[in-house]
Amino acid sequence: MTIDFPFIWTAFKEILKAIPLTLLLTITPLAIGFLIGLLVTWIRIGKARLIRLIANFYVSFFRGTPAIMHIMIIYFGLPILINQLVHYFELPIETNKIPISLFVILALSFTAGAYFSEIIRSGIASVTTGQIEAAYTVGMNTYQVAKRIILPQALAQSIPNITNIVVGFLHTTSIAFLVSQTEITGAANIVASKNLKFLEAFIAAGIIYWLITLMIEMISHFIEKKAKSYISSAL
Amino acid sequence: MGKAFDFTLILEFIPTLVKYLGITLEILFFSIILGILIGLVAAIPKIFKIPILKQLVTIYISFIRGTPIIIQLFLVYYGLPALFNLFHIDLSRVDALYFVIITYAISNGAIFAEIFRGAILAINSGQTEAAYTIGMTPSQNFRRIIFPQALRIAFPNIGNSVIGSLKDTSLAFTIGVMDMMGRGETLIASTAHALEVYISLSIIYYAIVIIIENIFKVYERYLNRYQPDEISAV
Repeated sequence: MTIDFPFIWTAFKEILKAIPLTLLLTITPLAIGFLIGLLVTWIRIGKARLIRLIANFYVSFFRGTPAIMHIMIIYFGLPILINQLVHYFELPIETNKIPISLFVILALSFTAGAYFSEIIRSGIASVTTGQIEAAYTVGMNTYQVAKRIILPQALAQSIPNITNIVVGFLHTTSIAFLVSQTEITGAANIVASKNLKFLEAFIAAGIIYWLITLMIEMISHFIEKKAKSYISSAL
Repeated sequence: MGKAFDFTLILEFIPTLVKYLGITLEILFFSIILGILIGLVAAIPKIFKIPILKQLVTIYISFIRGTPIIIQLFLVYYGLPALFNLFHIDLSRVDALYFVIITYAISNGAIFAEIFRGAILAINSGQTEAAYTIGMTPSQNFRRIIFPQALRIAFPNIGNSVIGSLKDTSLAFTIGVMDMMGRGETLIASTAHALEVYISLSIIYYAIVIIIENIFKVYERYLNRYQPDEISAV
């Protein structure tokens, strides 16, 4: 077996079509996960003990198990649950008509929520208590302190971590091919199987992932420079 | 899509699956050890700024960090036999397990290289100067001054990579390795209780992660034993 270099280009062009789905599977869970992360962090630094325990367990469990488990458990578990609800309430929903991508998005949203919660928490911890005290002293209320003092600094501090999670989730979407999604890896697998040229197809897919990752990192560097501009001016 | 959910099956599946934990840990152990060796070698050109080698290592690290582990797995699984074929060596009968260990070692190597580089560069150059001033040789300086401190700095990151790597082993089944996950797939094929299998697997992975996390925590406290309180309290 020798490498068919022209085929890498053919596969490359074919796999490019899978980028929109890959980005959808990356960005939607991250956006939902960010909101879950905010909520969970708020619970975890709050005072209600029982839900705090639940929130801590959620974060620890989702960070402690592979993402493939989350996808598979939702993919196999949710239809069973929905079926029973549909049966019980006699709803006009057919479970097998729900697109699989929705299950993937839901599962990855929960995964992202757990990771975001840790990122937001460490970002908040990086804001010194003196600043919060100062904000209260000048008469801000808790909401203003959170919005004007804590969150902007916490987010600026979290940019490298957020970049890591964005890149991490771009790569995690490759698991979705195991539940027959034609994102980049899935598309590569189809091109490979059709032409029996696996190595070439996966080289093309690897290059595409690599390029998207480099682009994300470039954008992140740019944003970080902007977001942290206040730090350099203070020195 | 499977049969009705049966909670008792989870308790039944866990012992069956745990028998294959050994393979999962074997992949983890060898890929970490090899990864540390690759990481050490790859960190050198970056620390000492050796031209050409430094650029090659940068590309290697960037590629590993830029592609999903599943793609790396496929590239090694299909690429290595093709590469060896050029030298007329036939790898088609080699156990998929070795391809998995090689992939994860290469992947861990890139991550370890970054961790080692960061840890060594984090140590103040004044320390090296002080060591030379009191007459230490470069190798003494490295063994007694740089390495112990770098290890302390790198340790939390090494712990995270080991846990990340354990979770990544759950993808080894895609090229046909009979680890815990692979056994889970055959259980699904024979019982059609996919949900219960995946819940059992999650419980096992979670338990192992908690155990590894605690081992690292204990050792981290040991490494930090000479740190003044105000630093370790942060």
